[in-house]
Amino acid sequence: MLNMSEHSDRNIEVHKFYNGAIFAVCLLALVFQAFLHKYGRWSELIDLPLLVTIYFGFSRRNPISGMFLGGTIGILQDALSHDNPIGMYGIAKTIVGYAASSIGGRIDTEHPVSRFGLIFVFFHFHQVILVITQRVLLNHSARLFTWQLLIDSLVTAAFGVVLFALLDRLRRSS
Amino acid sequence: MIDLIFRRPIFLLAIVVMAQVMLLAYQIKGEHDVRLLRYWAVALITPIERVGTSSTSKVGGVWSGYVGLHGARSENNQMRAELDQLRIRNRELESQAAEAKRLEAILNFRDAHPEAQLLAAEVIGSSSDPTSHTLFINRGERDRLRVNLGVITSEGIVGKIVEVLPNTSQVLLINDKDSGVGAMFGATRTHGVVKGSGDPEPHMDYVVNDEKVTAGDAIVTSGEDHIFPKDLPIGVVREAKPGSPFQIIRVQPAARLDRLEDVIVLLTQQPLTPLKPAAAASAAGSADQPAPAKTAAPQN
Repeated sequence: MLNMSEHSDRNIEVHKFYNGAIFAVCLLALVFQAFLHKYGRWSELIDLPLLVTIYFGFSRRNPISGMFLGGTIGILQDALSHDNPIGMYGIAKTIVGYAASSIGGRIDTEHPVSRFGLIFVFFHFHQVILVITQRVLLNHSARLFTWQLLIDSLVTAAFGVVLFALLDRLRRSS
Repeated sequence: MIDLIFRRPIFLLAIVVMAQVMLLAYQIKGEHDVRLLRYWAVALITPIERVGTSSTSKVGGVWSGYVGLHGARSENNQMRAELDQLRIRNRELESQAAEAKRLEAILNFRDAHPEAQLLAAEVIGSSSDPTSHTLFINRGERDRLRVNLGVITSEGIVGKIVEVLPNTSQVLLINDKDSGVGAMFGATRTHGVVKGSGDPEPHMDYVVNDEKVTAGDAIVTSGEDHIFPKDLPIGVVREAKPGSPFQIIRVQPAARLDRLEDVIVLLTQQPLTPLKPAAAASAAGSADQPAPAKTAAPQN
């Protein structure tokens, strides 16, 4: 018999969302990322699809759904670019979705300070996976750390704290 | 087996990641593209982007004209309301004037090149990948577009079409890291290649150190790439310094690549007749940044 709710044994609160909220938020994140990108480079500071992957990973706390959600978002992001082979962002966000869901069941992900720290860490974790994929599989030169990446991660983390607070409103009260 | 996978999600993670690695290998080794997946993704996202693009100007006008003034207190409500209405109207007129100006530039360009097959298009979105400099336009297969057609504005070249769907096409901008355009200096006719680097400004490569290049020199298309006709403006030299083995030349694009709203698709690679002085002045006068006059050099 399948046992897909291993976490239920640990008495961990799993947040549920209104019908269609996860799909709509993921779609809007991809659209906004593409839409804002058209209006200048400042929008590149924030990685909305990554933030959404992390948020739903933290909230749902189910590694399987987190993994598939991250993978789907990543693959769509790959598909919308002309030059990325399908799977580059897919692999990175699959692993991030899995890791965020696993961590969400173990530590406090509700406090703004812990959210800031976790987003910062996951941003660089995502970057590490991307760089490894590019170097090992695609034979592209990619840099693991730049000052611009550090700024991006801080801005993304700060924006993520605000975004997560807004997304909390989509949770269904149990 | 399935029970084990769901009890130990790490196994499922390994399977999913491995599947994507194999998909990557399939695309890279065999140089295959997963076009159907890209098609679905674009079909899912671009209609929403299209709605967003068309409503942005309207929402922006309402926001700045009304909501921005909502908190202001007034002693004379009647006069203030009238003033608000006039401001909203003014915003609308400004927006319409800006649009008319852009369309006029396209029209002037078309008038100046009656022999060329051109198609006006609207930019409806861009890639969600921060490292990719691409745009989506509202023209596709149904408008007879195909891959490798040049995309320009009245100011200069923009990029080329890399993907064509029924109602949408994807344009690779000249500052994308995968872009390369056959180029030459407008004055000296020395050839090179303008390549994107992922930064806002592309570079001009393969120009030897002995060549005298100064900031402000006009760069035009050479026609060697068989995408853009000869002598279309690409941009001007922003900075040139010696490198090894070639000079490092940063190029300021003539077209404002980060503020594109309307573009022109060149339906053929047929060379364009150089602009006549009056037409050139008219086309340049209606653009925000006039194209350098010396870029419209006569052709043989």
